[in-house]
Amino acid sequence: MDCNTVKAQIFPYVDGELAPATLAEIEAHFTTCESCSRLVDLELRFQAAYTRHLRPEPAPSHVRERLAGILAELNPSVTGRARRSLRRRMALTAVAALLVVLGAGVALMGESIVRSRGALVSLAEAAVEQHQRLTRDVLPPDIHGVSPKSAEEWFRKRLNFNISVPELSSERLKFRGGRIWHLDGVETAALGYEVEGSDVSLFIMPGEAYRKLGLKEPPRFRLVTRRGYDVIVWQSQVNGVGYALVSEIGGRACVVCHSPDEIRESAATLSAHH
Amino acid sequence: MTEPSDFERLALEQLDSFWSYAVRLTGRADQAQDLLQDALARGFERFGLFDRSLSFKAWMFTIIRHIHVDDLRKGNGRRLEESLEWQLIEGPSEISESPLYAIPLDPEAILAQRESVERLQEAISHLPAEMREVVELRDVEGLSYREIAGIVKRPVGTVMSRLYRGRNLLRSFLVGSKPEDKSAESRRGL
Repeated sequence: MDCNTVKAQIFPYVDGELAPATLAEIEAHFTTCESCSRLVDLELRFQAAYTRHLRPEPAPSHVRERLAGILAELNPSVTGRARRSLRRRMALTAVAALLVVLGAGVALMGESIVRSRGALVSLAEAAVEQHQRLTRDVLPPDIHGVSPKSAEEWFRKRLNFNISVPELSSERLKFRGGRIWHLDGVETAALGYEVEGSDVSLFIMPGEAYRKLGLKEPPRFRLVTRRGYDVIVWQSQVNGVGYALVSEIGGRACVVCHSPDEIRESAATLSAHH
Repeated sequence: MTEPSDFERLALEQLDSFWSYAVRLTGRADQAQDLLQDALARGFERFGLFDRSLSFKAWMFTIIRHIHVDDLRKGNGRRLEESLEWQLIEGPSEISESPLYAIPLDPEAILAQRESVERLQEAISHLPAEMREVVELRDVEGLSYREIAGIVKRPVGTVMSRLYRGRNLLRSFLVGSKPEDKSAESRRGL
């Protein structure tokens, strides 16, 4: 594949629209062509900066109330009852789309670095999409108003992998709640936090699902910027579970899982992906 | 407490996107509310036909757009001279169905300028309607090429062409050059 052919496919590439075979060819070209590699990096940076400003406008509260009322009336099972007002805003998690991508990624991705990068970006896309949905209320948390320790005990009784919910390491951090999502027999946990006034979602996946991403260490931490959000992906060195942390505040969100000292140490091993 | 229906739950998840799309189509908040109300009702009625393996958002976007076009055809108080509306009713004369395939403009200059939100919004507003719609569906709503093709009822190749040209035109505008294509496209009724 020559440079002109690759450059003509830049948009489909960054949009994740290429067939696996073409994707592999292009990724292989990037490893040998500095010019094209630089171009795609610029393109990804441009898209991140561009889409940051282009999110859908949130519906005004009065519009949301009205439309939620209409939807409630359409629900035949609730006729005649007073409908709930909109659920309070809550950063929690869940992750159907996330697991769909993981599952799809398994089919398409192998052990190669090239394909791992595609899986990582797809994971980030799905995590961001789910974070956006979940921080705009809608789904109630399975648990809320409890300590992380209590949440961990709650999850451990219900999940078939060894989840560890981080303790709060900073006064800047608030734990909002958590949720379990079932998809095709796979259970995923998700936690919602507030850090310095920003919504942060932490998705926790079974170690097996993380391994299927095909990511090799080092680096331990990988940063992917998608649609204006920062997604940090890594694997626990203790129990092997995988994490995807979604926020708009970059490395400052790491306070969810790590002390300030640990964050400083980890900064040196953070690898940016686009 | 009674659980929300599947339709209600899915619609609430995507309400901001539906709202944003309706506002972009109509250009007015009051009309967007009416449009969305109609679309939610129609979506609920037809939810049994919805293929759960597909994107609910894209499916609802198709309904929203279809109702909007119907409204325009009926002359329900909306301006017809605006290019998108014209295009939605009459269908565009395609700009180019030829392969996309020039090299995208280097975004480095734009990145260096650190564009403001206002400039970006202005640049998007200068895009020809058919390009603006595709760029927004992809870059704002995150829909796939195939989903967009289903919504605008054009082949995937046309979506790619519009997206390619729209993005490059946007960049031309952002780096300060005149968006030359716009006048040309407008003259062609796009």
